[in-house]
Order: sequence, then structure tokens, then C-alpha cells
Amino acid sequence: MIELRDVSKTVMSGTEPLTILHPLSLQIPHGQFVAIVGPSGSGKSTLLGLIAGLDAPSSGSVLIDEVDITKLGEDDLAKLRGEKVGFVFQFFHLIPSLTAYENVAVPMEIAGVADARPRAEQLLGEVGLTGRAHHYPSQLSGGEQQRVALARALANNPKIVLADEPTGNLDTANGRHIMDLLRTIHAGRGTTLVLVTHDAELAAMADARLVLRDGRVVENTIAALPVAGTR
Amino acid sequence: MMFVLRMAVRETRASLRRLFFFFICIAVGVAAIVALRSVIQSVRGVFGTEAKSLIAADVLIATNRDWTPDARSTIDRRLADAGDTERTETIETPTMVRPADRSKAVAKMAELRAVQPRFPLYGSIDLQGQTYSPSLLANHGVLVRPELLTAIDVKVGDQVIIGAATFTIRGLIVREPGRGMGEFSLGPRAIIAYEDLASTGLLGFGSRARRAMLVKMPEERVEPLVKALREDFKDDFINTRSFRSTEDQVGRDFDRAENYLSLVGLIIVILGGIAVSSVTRVFILQKIRSIAVLKCLGARSGQIISVYILQVMTLGLAGSLLGIAMARGVLASIPLMLGASTSILAQAHYGVSWSAAAQGVAIGVLVSLLFSVVPLLQVRFIKPSLLLRDETVRRSRDWVGIAVIVVVSLALVGLTAWQAASLKVGIVVCTGFAGLAVILHLAGRALIALIAPMANSRSFPLRHAVLHLSRPGNQTRVILLAVGLGAFFIVGVRSLQASLLSEFSLQVAASAPDMFLLDVQKGQADGVRAFLNDPARGAGEYQLIPVLRARVVGVTGTETNLEGADEVRQKGVSIGREFTITYRDHLEPNERVIQGAFWDGPSAEAEVSVEKIIAERARLHVGDTMRFDVLGRTVAARITSIRDVEWRESRNGGFVFVFRPGALDQAPQTFVAPLKGPEGVTARARFQHDLVERFPNVSVIDFHEVLETVRDVMSKVTLAITVVGGLVLFSGGLILIGAVAMTKFQRVYEAAVFKTLGANTRTIARMLLFEYGVLGSLAGLIGSLGAIVLTWGVSRYALEIPWRVFAGEHIAGVVMTALLVAVIGVVSSFDVLKNKPLATLRAE
Repeated sequence: MIELRDVSKTVMSGTEPLTILHPLSLQIPHGQFVAIVGPSGSGKSTLLGLIAGLDAPSSGSVLIDEVDITKLGEDDLAKLRGEKVGFVFQFFHLIPSLTAYENVAVPMEIAGVADARPRAEQLLGEVGLTGRAHHYPSQLSGGEQQRVALARALANNPKIVLADEPTGNLDTANGRHIMDLLRTIHAGRGTTLVLVTHDAELAAMADARLVLRDGRVVENTIAALPVAGTR
Repeated sequence: MMFVLRMAVRETRASLRRLFFFFICIAVGVAAIVALRSVIQSVRGVFGTEAKSLIAADVLIATNRDWTPDARSTIDRRLADAGDTERTETIETPTMVRPADRSKAVAKMAELRAVQPRFPLYGSIDLQGQTYSPSLLANHGVLVRPELLTAIDVKVGDQVIIGAATFTIRGLIVREPGRGMGEFSLGPRAIIAYEDLASTGLLGFGSRARRAMLVKMPEERVEPLVKALREDFKDDFINTRSFRSTEDQVGRDFDRAENYLSLVGLIIVILGGIAVSSVTRVFILQKIRSIAVLKCLGARSGQIISVYILQVMTLGLAGSLLGIAMARGVLASIPLMLGASTSILAQAHYGVSWSAAAQGVAIGVLVSLLFSVVPLLQVRFIKPSLLLRDETVRRSRDWVGIAVIVVVSLALVGLTAWQAASLKVGIVVCTGFAGLAVILHLAGRALIALIAPMANSRSFPLRHAVLHLSRPGNQTRVILLAVGLGAFFIVGVRSLQASLLSEFSLQVAASAPDMFLLDVQKGQADGVRAFLNDPARGAGEYQLIPVLRARVVGVTGTETNLEGADEVRQKGVSIGREFTITYRDHLEPNERVIQGAFWDGPSAEAEVSVEKIIAERARLHVGDTMRFDVLGRTVAARITSIRDVEWRESRNGGFVFVFRPGALDQAPQTFVAPLKGPEGVTARARFQHDLVERFPNVSVIDFHEVLETVRDVMSKVTLAITVVGGLVLFSGGLILIGAVAMTKFQRVYEAAVFKTLGANTRTIARMLLFEYGVLGSLAGLIGSLGAIVLTWGVSRYALEIPWRVFAGEHIAGVVMTALLVAVIGVVSSFDVLKNKPLATLRAE
């Protein structure tokens, strides 16, 4: 369960404070597929970053499985991300100096998995990249890079996958391929999937959606979702 | 841990090409340290295995005076007490050697050694093409160093005249025990038989002969004997030492040489370290996103820092191992370079010693680590949220960072102190280096600010070249530091050499004396005067100065009170040694009385005038009484004046103690004579030859020859320092290549944008040429300015000679450095010019 209690985010814009997310509370039950929708600058990615513990809120608290992650230090946050959260970015953010296989293996190695190879190879197989395991990111197409990023996000079998506009930098066919994979993962593994997008078509695939505009919630259907286990 | 190891391997693999050159710098420094230490250890090994042949005996008893019957009987008694001993005697004296063939009008000063048949007790006299036997010296045979043959145009089998006797050259000396390497000598060695020395007439009064007794005995009795003899002769001019104390002294000298020389290597390693620090900063800037991704995937800052530390240490280790390999190469080439040399250096077996290699590796790895830790701490401030949004984080003061900087600085001082084997030297070198780095850094900033207006130049390439020097992540300052330091070393030492040589040439060329006669006996004084006054000889102005050898054996004064030679030796600051003294009734032009009054006529009562510096050090004042031992007679003299002596002009009057005429007139004495010798090499040679023919015991020092020797020694020293400067410059070149490689991704992109906007390859090439030309000129200028400051400081405070600026050296330094940097910069940026813009822009 992901729970946000009166979470807000204010940053400094030059010398002036700028609120990019006004106080908001919500609960995302385990196993749900939620879309966060809104135009550019509406606070979608900021919200996703707060859920992942990539960023600290200016006020309020974020709870993952009843643990208040706003009270955790950087290293504990890193540990929590490694164990429970998988992240997919719009710009892939693969490590350019590592091969596809190594990029997928890294989260498992950080978590101390003794032999990451079988699972990394299996995941690359699942995203259809068996033959590209030893290629560097610069040798892969955008779609392939995003599939590597997806395999990496699943490496530690996280309960939560957060995807920040995962198709935003891809052509239609590749974008569709990625979405199919995400839905398969969500359905097959019961993973909580939080998808940030401004594509209404993609948002429509989700169980519920949260619409943001200028940092405020203008629509929230998440509250109507059944809690985990009752679905 | 596995993650850290794996990531370190992957990161090293990925960045090897970019970081390669910086670790070559480490390798060059480590190679210098390992090679220098190994060479010295190897040479030391030769001395170590032949410790006894250093003095050719177990115990050496030596004196500059005749053996007195008392001294002989004391030694006989002590040796008898010591049991089974073997003894031989030698006498050494500088003298003139000339061919017996009168048609060859030359004479050369040589260091004569007269030996008994048992010599040497240890080691051997090695001759060219034959084995030494005392019979070679029988019936006036002489063995000489090969260089004497060429100097006086003779060959083996020819006859030469030494003093008043004629000798036949029977062989050439390759090596002899008891003569070390690099020892200062007045001339090449000549060895004759002990019993033939008397016939030369060189042992007259006042001769500078050094008599030695060499003793061979069981090792366990050596130290008690030395101790007893030192006690017996504590008030006499007799010196006793054992092979062990000589070995210890040589050992200390070697330690010092090894430690100081390895500092040179350490400076190069530190320069590499500075480059590593600078490149790590850029490296982390380039890795920001990857680090944010790793944090996003669950990696902690500590783990990521460990990855990069491990990577740096791996490269440091690789650099160090490469350095050892380079050192091995250098050491292997030494025997080839020495060829058939007869020097003691040729006897050593050169190889990398384990201890030198271990030190090299430790230094390479440690310096890499110390210099990369501080920039790596930046990893802590990289937030994973930057993957979502670029945001400048306002940071409070980083106390951890400051603490690490303090620890790293202390560690560097420790490292330097370890290498120099002295905490004081460690602190001085580190402070000096830091000061120099700060000065070069500030000078770099000032010069960059100075050329900033060129950023408004009409020339497009020049404008952008100047802008590039202050681009984000630029390597300008580190290149200025490294290349500037190299230029500084080279220009500085060359300027100093030029300065010294011109000073020396000026002194010799002026109308000042350029020849010096030694050992003129009292009875020869009139003869020598007549010889020098004869216009046919061509000599100019001269003076005959009476000299006596004396030792201070007591002081009764206001501040200083010393009783006996022993107390003077132990407590008398600067007055414990033997002095050459004179007497006269006038001050020389280079002297000035600063306290008391100089006498104006003879007096039977002894009075002495003391040189200012010695008076200050030994706290001597006008009115104090000093007691001198003048050849066994004690003379008590009142100090009546203190003189300031201009030592630079001292060839007529460089005496610490000058006596009032009267008291010493009748004492045994000899004369020395500074004079202006004839013009021209042949006339000078003939002059020396004729003088020595008339007065065989007189020695002549020709300053023109000394100048040649000085020139030779200085060019060797200059070459050595230029090699060091060259290595530093080479490291600077590597850092430059590395910096170009490091920032190439940025340049390739910019070049692509410029090309898209219409710039052709030639324009971009000119931009690069200007950029590196300006950078090189600045580095050259910094080095050159530093060299001017260095020559000023050294000339004024260390050498006490007038400061001169050799514009040619400085201009050449700036131009050469600019050219070097421009060529390296443009050549290593070749692919920036080559790349097609579209591919580059797509990749971005």
C-alpha cells in the first residue's frame, strides 16, 4: 500500500518559493494500476519522485507498506528503493558504460544477490532482448533501451513499479510494445503500477487515475478502488 | 562488496582510455622513484661489499703533519697491544707533473700517492691490461690515470718529472682502493713507491702532504683501538677512523642522496596526483546521471564512492606497475650507457630492488587515492531526483569534506616525510609545493583574466579559443600548473647556469688574478719574485703572501672561554678546524674594519684581526685573547679588529685570521701567490712548465682550467635538472593529452554544432591551434616568470652573485612551451576535426 498524507512540494525558483505540488492525500492499494495524468509542469513527475523516495516532500508524509519513508535517511531510502520499487524513466537512464545485461544485473548486485546472471538473462528474455544482452546502450534503439530499463526495474521483483512517461520518447509501435509489457507485468505479477503520462489513451488502460493541473488534483478516481485482497 | 568490485571493473573498462594518460603520469613518477632508489641501492651495494676497500684498511690513522716520534711510539704501543696486526703507510700530496721531454712545455697538477709494497691491505689497484705488482713502482716507476696522459701529451713508457725526480710511466690506473666516486680532486691520480717520494723533494716544510697509516687487524679489536687512539691524540692533529665509521658515513650519505632524489620522483607523482584530482572532478561531473541512476536503483553513496575509489586505486596500481617496468627498462640500459667506463658505477649490478618497487607501488596507489578522495565526495551530493528534474541544491558547509581535506593534507605530508626520511623536509616540501601551486594557480588566473578581453576579438577562432580556456570543466589550471612547473624547472636551471658561468667568466676575464702559486718555500721567495718580474715570462701583477697553518687551541674572552684543542673542537662554533693564516700591515681592497682598529706597523706582541662572520658565530670580540697552535708553538694573540671580507673578491685576501707583522715573521712559513698569468693557452702552459722546472715543489692552479672544470660539472648538473624538468614537462604533456581526451566529448559536440553553423575544418583547426597556443604561451610565461624569481632568489641569497636576466632563455622557454602545447593539443584533438556533424548530433 502506498499512502500520501498532506504531501506538498515547494522549490526555490531564483529567490522566490514556487509550489509545484499543493497538499494532497491519497492511498493506492496493493496490486492496482494507477495513471497520473496532466499537462507538462502539472507536478506528475514530482509526485512520482516523492512516492519513490527520490525526493523529499516539503510537508506531509509518504508511507510505503506503513513505513514513513520521509523519516528515512538517504541510505535507508536507497535500500527501500532497491527492494520494493522499480523505476522506468522517459529517457531510459541506462548507465552508458554498462552492457544491457550489466544494466539489468546492477540492482540485484546492489541488493547482494550472489548470482544475478540467470535472472538478468531471464528478464532480458521476457522483454525480447536475449540476443542483445552484451550490447551497450549506444548500440541499442530507443525501444530496446526502454525494454532494458523495464527489465532492470523488475530485477529485484519489486512490489511497486513506477513509470515516468515510459513511452514519451518512443515511436508508436515501440510505445505500444512497452505498454503491453507493463500491463503483462502488472497482471502477471500483481505489481502495483503507477504510470505518469499525458497520453489519455494510455491512461484509459489504468484501473484508476489522478489528474493534476498546476500542482493540484482536479480528478481522483483512486479512492473508489477496492483495497488489496478484495479485488 | 561484489557489487563494488564488479562496478569498479566495469567502470575501469569503460573509462580506461580517457584516464590512461593521467596514470601514465603516475607511472613516470613511480618510475623515477623506483629507478633512483634502485640505482643508489645498487651502487651502495658495491660499497657495502667492499666497505674495507673504501679506506683500504680496517683502521686508518692520518695526519697533515709529519709523524712525531711520540705519535709513532704511541701507535706502535697500541698496535702491539692489539696483537696480530699488519700495517702500511702512504703519503698523498698534490703536485705538478710534467713530461721529461723538454720540447713539451706543459705541466699539470696531479694528486700524488706514495705507497709501500703492502698497499693495499684490502681491495686492489686495478690497471688497464695488466695486474698490479709493487715491482711496477720499483726504480722510479709511476702509475697514472689515463686522463693525465692526454693532459701532458705522454704515453705509457714515457718519462715524467715529479718534483725534482724523473719517473717512468709503467701503467694506467683503472681503480684504486680508498678513492671514492665523485670525490673532489685537484687533478688525476699518480702512484709512486713510498721510498721514491723523498727524491722528489716534495716533503719540504709547509707541504700539503697527508700521511696515513693503514692497519689490518681482527675485526673485534678495531673499535677498542680506534677509541684508544682517539683519546691518545685528542689534542693532536691526528685523525683515526675505522672502516665501520667510514661505512656508516657513506651509508648516511647514500641514505640522504636516496631520500632527496626520490623526492624528485615524488613531485612528479604528486603532479600526476593533481591531474588525477582534476580529472576525477570532471569524471564525476560526467557521471552525474549514472550515479543518480545507481542511487535510484538502491545504491548507497558509500558504495558508489567505494566503486570509484577502487577504480582509481586499480589504475594507480596499474600505473605504478607500469612505472616499475619503465624503471626496469631504464636500469637495464645503464650498463649499456656506461659502456667500458672504469667508474665504480660500472661495478654495480643494476636491477629494481624489492624495497624500491614496494615503495613505488605504495606511493603510486596512495597518491592516486589521496588526490581522488576529495572530488569523489561530491558523489554524496548527487540526488537521484535529478533524473526527474534539474535542480540546484543549496548546500551548507561540508564539514566531512573539510575534515577529509585536512586528513589528506596530513597524509601527503606524512608521505613526503616518509620519502625524505625527515618530517621537517616533508613539511617544507609540501608547504613549498602547495605555495608554488597556489602561486602558479593565481598566476594562471591572473593571466586568464588578462587575456579575457581577447574574447571580444574580431577573429572568430581567437575569440572562441579564449572562451574555451574558461569553459565549465576546463583543465586550464591543471595544465598551466603541470606544464608551467616543467617550464619553470628547465628555464630556471638554464638561467642559473648561464648566470653562474657568466659570473665566473667575468671574474676570470677581468684583470683580476687568474693563476695561483702554492707551496713557495721561504728560500724560493726571491727566486719566484725574480721569475715573475721577468717580462719575458708574461706574468702580470702578483703578490707573495706568507701563509701558515694554525689551529685555535683556546679563547679567553667576554663571551667565549675555551681551554684546549679538544674543547675548541667540541664547543667552538666554526673555529674547530685548521686555518690558513697570514700576516700583513695593510687591508686588502675587499676588506673593511668594522670594529676596533687595524695596525699600521709591526709589533713583537701578537695581534689578530678576525673575519666578521666567524667572529659572530664564535662570539669573539675586540679585546679577547685567542691562542693558536702554529706548527706546535702556541701563540697568544689579542683581537684588535673585526673585518668584513667581500669573499667574492677574495683572491688576494680571503683570510679569516690576519696577524700583525712581527710575531710570526720568523715562524716556519710558505708563500702563495695570486697573479695574472700570461695570455694564451701555449704561453700559460709554458709559464707553468718553466716555473715548475725552476721550482719543482711549487704547484700552480690555473683558473682557466678550473673554469673548464666548473663548466663541465655545471653542465652535468644542469643536464640532470633539465632531465627532471623534462620529465615534469613530459608529465605536463601527458596531462594535456589526457585533458583533451577527457573533454573530447564536449569538443566533438561543439565542433559538430560549429560545422552545422557553417564553420569549416580549417576554422576549427585554427580555433584549436589558438586555444592551445594561448595555453602554452601562458604556461611558458608562468614558468619563465617563476624562473626569473628563482634566479633572483638563488643569485642574491644562495650564490651571492649579481642577478642577471637572460632574455634569450626566457623567450626561448615561452616559445618552445607554446609550440609544444599547441602541437600536442592539436594532434591529440585530431578526431574532433574528423568527425561528421550529423552522427555526433544524433548521438546527443
